[in-house]
Amino acid sequence: MKGRGLAVAISATALLPVLGLLLLVLWMGFWQNGPGEPIVYTTSHFRKIFTDAFTYKTFLNTLGFATTAVLVALFFAIPLAWLVERTNLPGKSFILAIVTLGALLPTFFTAMGWVFLLHPRIGIVNRFLMDIFGLTQAPLNVASIVGMGWVEGLGLSSIAFVMIVATYRSMDPALEEAARVHGLGIFRTLLYVTLPLTFPGILAAAIYVFTIALSAFEVPAIIGLSNKIFTFATFIFYKIQPLEELPSYGVAGAVSTILIILALLLSWSYFRLLRFSHRYAVVTGKAYRPQPVELGSKGRLLAWSFLGFYFTVAKLLPLLLLVWAALLRYFQPPSWAALAQVSMNNFYGLPWKLLLHGAWNTLILMLAVPTLTLFLCLAISWTVLRSGVRFRVLFDAVAFLPHAVPHLILAIASMFAALFLLRNVVPLYGSLLILVFVYTISRISFATRIINNSLAQIHPELEEAAFVGGLKLLQVMRKILIPLLKPALVYAWIWMALLCYRELTMASVLVTSQANVTLPMIVWSLWLGGSLNQAAAANLVVLICMVPVVLLYFVFGRRSRIAEGA
Amino acid sequence: MISIAGVSKNFSADDRSVAALRSVHLEVNRGEFFVLLGPSGSGKTTLLRAVAGLEKPDQGEISLDGKLVYSRSQGLCAPPEERQVGMVFQSYAIWPHLTVAENIGLVLTHGRLRLSKKEAAARIHHSLSLVQLQDFETRPARLLSGGQQQRVALARALAINPALVLMDEPLSNLDARLREEVRANIKKLAVQIGMTVLYVTHDQIEAMMLADQIAVMAHGEILQVGRPAELYRHPASALVAEFFGSINWIRGMAHGNNRVETELGPLWVADSRHCHGAVIVGVRPEDVHLQRSSNENENRIEGKVRNSVFLGDQIVCEIDVRGKILIAKGSPNDGEPSDTVFVYLPRERLVVFSDRVPSDSLG
Repeated sequence: MKGRGLAVAISATALLPVLGLLLLVLWMGFWQNGPGEPIVYTTSHFRKIFTDAFTYKTFLNTLGFATTAVLVALFFAIPLAWLVERTNLPGKSFILAIVTLGALLPTFFTAMGWVFLLHPRIGIVNRFLMDIFGLTQAPLNVASIVGMGWVEGLGLSSIAFVMIVATYRSMDPALEEAARVHGLGIFRTLLYVTLPLTFPGILAAAIYVFTIALSAFEVPAIIGLSNKIFTFATFIFYKIQPLEELPSYGVAGAVSTILIILALLLSWSYFRLLRFSHRYAVVTGKAYRPQPVELGSKGRLLAWSFLGFYFTVAKLLPLLLLVWAALLRYFQPPSWAALAQVSMNNFYGLPWKLLLHGAWNTLILMLAVPTLTLFLCLAISWTVLRSGVRFRVLFDAVAFLPHAVPHLILAIASMFAALFLLRNVVPLYGSLLILVFVYTISRISFATRIINNSLAQIHPELEEAAFVGGLKLLQVMRKILIPLLKPALVYAWIWMALLCYRELTMASVLVTSQANVTLPMIVWSLWLGGSLNQAAAANLVVLICMVPVVLLYFVFGRRSRIAEGA
Repeated sequence: MISIAGVSKNFSADDRSVAALRSVHLEVNRGEFFVLLGPSGSGKTTLLRAVAGLEKPDQGEISLDGKLVYSRSQGLCAPPEERQVGMVFQSYAIWPHLTVAENIGLVLTHGRLRLSKKEAAARIHHSLSLVQLQDFETRPARLLSGGQQQRVALARALAINPALVLMDEPLSNLDARLREEVRANIKKLAVQIGMTVLYVTHDQIEAMMLADQIAVMAHGEILQVGRPAELYRHPASALVAEFFGSINWIRGMAHGNNRVETELGPLWVADSRHCHGAVIVGVRPEDVHLQRSSNENENRIEGKVRNSVFLGDQIVCEIDVRGKILIAKGSPNDGEPSDTVFVYLPRERLVVFSDRVPSDSLG
């Protein structure tokens, strides 16, 4: 097959940096001094973090934060998924689309909204409760482990929802019908059949969400950093971009190594569980939709209240609060006096030149990253599924790594490489190119998974017929595979473009100058600089600019398939 | 036992409404083995699911054992758990997280009967012994083979002693040999227990072997109800005739006097009073008798063997009769290619319908 070598070479080119970055993190953890100086190796960083009480505190913080996030996400996701998949609630497909799309709402957006709601000093809910009950202290505090977990959980509920919906769908509905027919009512069927059967799937979703929360950056950065509450992600970030001391890459590397090991372990157990849950997924001969559970008027009221509550806390309240904050010079609870101060000044005062520049950079990223990723991942998927080369399983395994490894760490490793290893070779540091590079690497897992799933459904004989007909691999790709894969490619492209748009975690490490500033980064710098109200205004501008792309997704990319992962 | 009156059901798919059932009427008597037979998409499974309460019809009434369970006019639709039926699903729907005994036990202890654990144990054992699985009680259900799962599904359906058992293509996922065995067992059990069975299948052989009564369905309608031999010999329409095996169609004109002028010449039929004008005369291959010499007067036509396929116990021939090909099944020494033979079509074996058969079956 002509061209096979090329495909394998492209895949290898895409995957080698992944391995390289991981090894770099390991290496980093053993450096005694800062880069630039002669290299002296040491294990002191590991010793230090294992003996330091602060590490344990951070560990417990992270654990509490991730656990809260999982609980919150499941609390919303399980009932929502059941309502959408198993009842006759009207407008189900719309709810499905909206909740799924919720995964794209930038987490820093909701985080800011919740600060305005629940901050101990300025949060309006706290002020309200203190006024009513005459409290001297704020009863609710978002700048706490539970508070941050709550906000993170709201953000992750979309992903959990999508995964649990998939669990319901993979279950043979006849299993539930058999229970109903043989005399178990709705409730008993739910208790003895549906719940036990979906349990492995729900647990898998919980682990998946937990893995994300463990290394989540945005919420701890927006809420925790200014209040000196650290999780692993913000701790690592703080070590490389400290306010007072010098950066300590060694410590960052050591903590990252531990976090990577944790994440890999979790991902491994996730896949084990997933396989276990697939045992329960009986593929039936007929594709029928089960008769949905009929909700009575009471049930319907309950369902709508639950949905309303979810949308209010997860989307509406943060949005309203941001709008309110954006219109004020200083944040204060709504009142007649405050209303008199409402103005568009925050918007006029925004650094528009910078925003424009950021928008331009973001646009380039949105176009370049998905295109490049899809190009590379086509080669990887083809190598894994079709080339027949040895070690193709290895390609698959490496392509999965960027999913398991926290993206913050990928970014740090790349920055480290750009700053100290490649400084004299390629001027990557502070360039847009490094963003393209790291964003692309971080999305390899997502894109290969989507393409793998679609490619597996295309019979190899379709290609073989073309080979026999005398076409070369490149032509087969262009004339046969890409047209057949087009729906999946379009979907993946738009979804990745949207993820690029809202990306803050990796940008927070890699954006070092005006040259490669992105929109979310501008919002965050305003926030970190203390101009909360301006940050809110900028955030709204960013959100509004996102609308056209989301519409694009609705028109072209939305398919019955649901977004796997973020 | 089952009384279905004017039941209709529409499904909407892709903004189109598809009629799955069109005003179906059906009566099933107590103790009857009743088979719903039809091609896929004929509505047979929808009808079964409507009886089970898994599908809510749009129109009509259904009663089970004299008790109304669905009535559009009264706004009544009893949920499945109140209908007291047993059901075997096409995918068996054996709960993979439970053992064999627990699969049956769950129904007994948490279903309508609410038996105690002890009472349930005896029942579980009994129903498993009916399907020869008494030694499998503690086996996790997901470790069972397809055939064993099928038997557990049957045992579960029988465990509550239902007056009515519904079966939705229960044999379609078994391999051919196992299918015969299980089919025989189902029939034996049905007779032994004296249960009423409503059974859905697309396989006419299966239907004829099992059924006391068959209802042939197509396009959401019941075409004919009757005993197997009745449907085979006296189909009410060309569609039913074709559904029960291959048949030769001969075009002709009827004049209401049992004599039909056909493309093969005049044919005498047993009864053509109901037909005038263009008709088709049907005859099954095994009723096309081949003879060397002529010793009957009516319905005998000379033809030529075009082609013959030897199948061991029988021979299948294509006979050219005045330019029209008839398929005949005969004994192995009936005909060699290019032999001239006489075709005899016994008048009591001919069926006559007005000419409205799908054109593709007329060659």
